[in-house]
Amino acid sequence: MPLSRTLLADLERIVGAGGLVRSYEGRLVYESDMHTFYKGAPDVVALPTRTDQVVAIVRLCRAERVPIVPRGSGTGLIGGAMAPQGGVMIGLNRMDKILEIDLPNRCATVQPGLINLFLTQAVANSGYFFAPDPSSQMVSSIGGNVSTNAGGPHCLKYGITTNHVLGLELVTGTGEAVRLGGKVVDRPGYDLTGIAVGSEGTFGIVTAVTVRLLHAPEAVRTILASFVAIEDASEAVSAIIAAGMIPAALEMLDEMMIRAINEGSNAGYPKDAAAVLLIELDGPLAEVMAQSERAAQICWERGALEVRVARDDAERALLWKGRKEAAGAVGRLAPTYLLQDAVVPRSKLPTIMRELIAIGARHRVRIANVFHAGDGNLHPLILYDDRDPEELERAKAANEELLNACIAMGGTVTGEHGVGLDKAKNLPLQYADADLNFMYRLRRAFDPETIMNPGKLLPSHPACGEGFRPARPRVPDGAWI
Amino acid sequence: MSVAGRSVGEAFVAIAGRDGVRDDVPARAAAAVDGLVPRWVVRPASLEQVSQVVALAHEAALAVAPRGSGSALELGCPPARLDVALDLCGLDRVVEYNPADVSITVEAGITVGALAARLAPHRQFLALDPPGASTRTLGGIAATNASGPLRVRYGTMRDLLLGVRFVQADGVLTWGGSKVVKSVSGYDVPKLMIGALGTLGVLGELTLRLHPLPDAERSWLVRLPSAEAAQAFVERVVDSSLQPNRLEYLGEQVLEAVFPGPTSSAVAVSIGSVEEAVVEGGERLAALAKAEGAQILPVPDAFWSDAERALTPSEGEALLQIASLAGRLATTQRAIVEAVRASAPRARVWTSCCAPLGTVRVRLADTDLAVTTAITKRLRDEVAEIGGSVVIARGPSALRAAVDPWGPVEAGAFALMRALRDDLDPKRVLNPGRFVGGL
Repeated sequence: MPLSRTLLADLERIVGAGGLVRSYEGRLVYESDMHTFYKGAPDVVALPTRTDQVVAIVRLCRAERVPIVPRGSGTGLIGGAMAPQGGVMIGLNRMDKILEIDLPNRCATVQPGLINLFLTQAVANSGYFFAPDPSSQMVSSIGGNVSTNAGGPHCLKYGITTNHVLGLELVTGTGEAVRLGGKVVDRPGYDLTGIAVGSEGTFGIVTAVTVRLLHAPEAVRTILASFVAIEDASEAVSAIIAAGMIPAALEMLDEMMIRAINEGSNAGYPKDAAAVLLIELDGPLAEVMAQSERAAQICWERGALEVRVARDDAERALLWKGRKEAAGAVGRLAPTYLLQDAVVPRSKLPTIMRELIAIGARHRVRIANVFHAGDGNLHPLILYDDRDPEELERAKAANEELLNACIAMGGTVTGEHGVGLDKAKNLPLQYADADLNFMYRLRRAFDPETIMNPGKLLPSHPACGEGFRPARPRVPDGAWI
Repeated sequence: MSVAGRSVGEAFVAIAGRDGVRDDVPARAAAAVDGLVPRWVVRPASLEQVSQVVALAHEAALAVAPRGSGSALELGCPPARLDVALDLCGLDRVVEYNPADVSITVEAGITVGALAARLAPHRQFLALDPPGASTRTLGGIAATNASGPLRVRYGTMRDLLLGVRFVQADGVLTWGGSKVVKSVSGYDVPKLMIGALGTLGVLGELTLRLHPLPDAERSWLVRLPSAEAAQAFVERVVDSSLQPNRLEYLGEQVLEAVFPGPTSSAVAVSIGSVEEAVVEGGERLAALAKAEGAQILPVPDAFWSDAERALTPSEGEALLQIASLAGRLATTQRAIVEAVRASAPRARVWTSCCAPLGTVRVRLADTDLAVTTAITKRLRDEVAEIGGSVVIARGPSALRAAVDPWGPVEAGAFALMRALRDDLDPKRVLNPGRFVGGL
């Protein structure tokens, strides 16, 4: 249903003609995030610069029951910042200021459109950094990171976005701007900040974020170890963890990925390596020195072909080069791929790797692997040729089977990318009706009319708003009242 | 007892067995909360039984107060009603533990001490050290969001709870979160359960992130002439490459109790890591202390439990938890001293502050209701402008009836909290009246 002329006129009154994207070509830019499978352009895009404008837009849309979709940089991988039902998109890119840097209290307050890396750049000279570092950090916005509760290669030690968010300003689905949390920790009451982080815009629009800043570690050591078998590399991971280390990052690449990277870049991984392990330790110098020696020794003991230790930042960058180019490198193997983000308990890594090979064989698709081995977060890339619809179907089937296998091992359907439109249908794999019902009710408290990013995060449900109706537990018959 | 009452009791027996239900006077009196005596004390043996007990209470519109070790029952407002004391200590099993995953799933009634014994052979631990931790249950620690000095390094329950199985107010058994260390599938339900005092669900099973025990750990005490000097020293430490496990400011009375000496302020530090890094860290710490003209001395591990004891209120005393900012350590400390001096010059006050976060624990003795009320209000005014809080974590019922133990909650956020509570527990089955704003 197209938007009413009065609504468009009111929107223009709020953000000005220059803050509104109405043209077809203009709106097309906003039709998908990085998961280009899912397309849906909004009817109009509003680009507010202030919280009160966001409040006014939400109230306007609520009155007419028009869906609202928030969007940051659009680098999500889940079909999140796109508008399958049309409606109004709120682009937060113009709200990109750092509002306050408070070093004595080691926190900062920023607007949601600020690029992740810019915050670290702003405090780096003082010796601080913002820990969440999704691979997209040079382009993704902090509001987007908050919305998806983004992770990154270093979250093994530092945790994900939620561990670094102290407070939010949120414009809820009813158009109220509320302050949740703040600089001071331990606020009495429910942890609404905690539940709003990762809510993917379904609770409302985040208009300010207060985050923790960490002191930069004194020393960083990066080790690259290659192995002839992925089992050996997996065992090295387990042994490093068992030795009491929590590396900042613990990343693995499989044989197909190594081949793809070697063909296109000078990362220089050994040709006969079937697995490459990247280990990064950081912290006080004495600790890092002792632990990196121990980690290297563990790799040798598990039959490493080669163990390289970076001596300076340039060497460190070289060791990371292949890992960072991984997603691009698979372009040499196939025109396109499906990227998965499932998690298994770390101890199940060897089992799931064998299972992945079997799944690939069953569906006649190649699967390249790059993953966060330290926390069991897999990123299999299922390769296919998009000109062959039959191959796409096989890739999709392999993708579903893979997800099921991870859940069967006690895992989760998404480790760091989020749910969005892409995985809403998969949540029932992990959650029973009662669990999903609980989530619907949380949502309802923030957005009673379900106008905020509808269709995302939760699977669709009957229109009555009750969602899934779980069975009550049986109580003994007849005894009472 | 009425016929209806008797038959509800029989239904509880049908669920939890004869041994799991007590309605005799001594058992009920022992489970009283703020003078309110429950009609039954039910001790379920499984999560399914918890679910059935709560479902029954829901249908009969009874009020349920979940409890673990009973160590934090003085947190919150006196309950509005109480019919069933739900003793969860029978749920004390380890559900799943694979050391290679460095996480564990336990039932909520297990104590920190029992858990630690199970983890020690694998050189792992749960990095939470609230007062009296070893005998407290994990469910209780989660429901009250209790923490201790280790939070500087490891965070709080918020950073450690991965998944939670709980029983909603209508008895529906529900799961939130995940069993793996990294997951963003759906809303982060475990966060909502932490510190909620069981008002959104009775915690039954927790999946927790663990940590490797450091190879070595040592502690030091740095004596400083004033709170201002202590704050400056803390800033130097935080700004350095040191990575302390604990960094706690201790006020005069605590020092007198654990380590008497010439100064009225001190900062206690512990460092845990590989042996060589601990030694090196100690040297750096000494250099920082020397630069401030402060005296530094090594202290035994027992120091921390001694300090904890000094902060533990006796019967009738009060414990305040102040949330302020690291940058206001000295200001807050001065405000505490002045508030006490103004209201009751003879009162005794012990303070301990998690210095990098600005959270302070204050034990008050030799005060009366009016004095503690006045001190609480004065300190609330002091932290109001920065959005801080002063919570009465322990204190007599009369005190918590006279002054809101939680303090004010911002109106917009409170409206959302009330909406959640109204939707999830409209009959107010779970801990009615005890949470913020009387929720």
